[in-house]
Amino acid sequence: MDRNQITKWLKSPGKMAHKYSLHAVYFCTGCGIIEIPPVITARWDAERFGVIPVATPRQGNLFMITGYVSVKTLKAIIRTYEQMPDPKYTVAFGSCPINGGMYWDSYNTIKHLDKYIPVDGWIAGCMPRPEAVFVGVTHLWTLIDKEMANGYIRYKKKYAAYRSNQEMALGELDWPPLYPIEDETEEESK
Amino acid sequence: MISSLQENLEATFKGVKVTAPEDGRMSVSVPSDSIPVVLRYLKGNGLDHMALLSCVDWIEDGKFELVYFLTCYMPNNTDYAADQKLHVLVRTQVPRDNPGIESVIGVFENIEPYEREIHELYGVHFKGHPRLTHLLLERDYEVPPFRKDFDTRQYVEETFGSIPPVDE
Repeated sequence: MDRNQITKWLKSPGKMAHKYSLHAVYFCTGCGIIEIPPVITARWDAERFGVIPVATPRQGNLFMITGYVSVKTLKAIIRTYEQMPDPKYTVAFGSCPINGGMYWDSYNTIKHLDKYIPVDGWIAGCMPRPEAVFVGVTHLWTLIDKEMANGYIRYKKKYAAYRSNQEMALGELDWPPLYPIEDETEEESK
Repeated sequence: MISSLQENLEATFKGVKVTAPEDGRMSVSVPSDSIPVVLRYLKGNGLDHMALLSCVDWIEDGKFELVYFLTCYMPNNTDYAADQKLHVLVRTQVPRDNPGIESVIGVFENIEPYEREIHELYGVHFKGHPRLTHLLLERDYEVPPFRKDFDTRQYVEETFGSIPPVDE
């Protein structure tokens, strides 16, 4: 452990613990997932940075969207994201979730992921190198330190807007809202 | 094998045109109503693998061209020679407005997902198909998305561009 960080550990142990144990949901989307096996295995060894893949969203707190998001995948992404426990961090990986990338005029991929779920960090590139993943992770540490990786709080606060966007893209959603929507609109009207 | 099959095909079926552009390849143009019988005949002549069904949109001619890719599985016997390998494309054309063709599930059962795919991406109706539902897509499109007159940019603008960003 870094001795310089002892004060941080004593001040906010919970935050430091979240920071150094990022459990990535092993969710495969698009072509970017081909970069993830070398990242987590011996060659680049993501465990040096505390990143380890987990099997189910209930155990994870880091969600990497690794490529283009088709309309069908968006449904799975939203359901996975809503199952993850707080605090949770989303990182969009590659240029496709950022603005559509090379699928900017495709009939069946959504272009801007942050219209549907909150995104904390972006790793640009097509594809990003494994080193870029670690740069992204260290940036995410800084964001967690400064409490700027607050996507899950924003999701709760703006849930009505996110839900209406999701319904615009997917049509009628066949699962109930995660947070009560009526309260949200009342608060806003006040 | 190729030359005899070519002669037999042209002799047996009316309106069938066969060309063999190179060794081991054969292209058969067939009127759309005799597709099931021609495919059944080819299956009986050793071409027992339906590899793929594809579709081409010839928008100037007002036609869809359906292409059935047929090959043969390797027989187990040792008599099988490498020069007997054959790759057959069976082509047929259907009109672009209200396109329809007989389904060939009765001949090759594995063509079921291919016909569903062509149905949802090009809007070609396969008569006799048990379930022409969506295969890959989740939503209905006014114009099937792989047709040449489907304007992707306008569609993207209208569907995804109209969704507002969530202000933070």
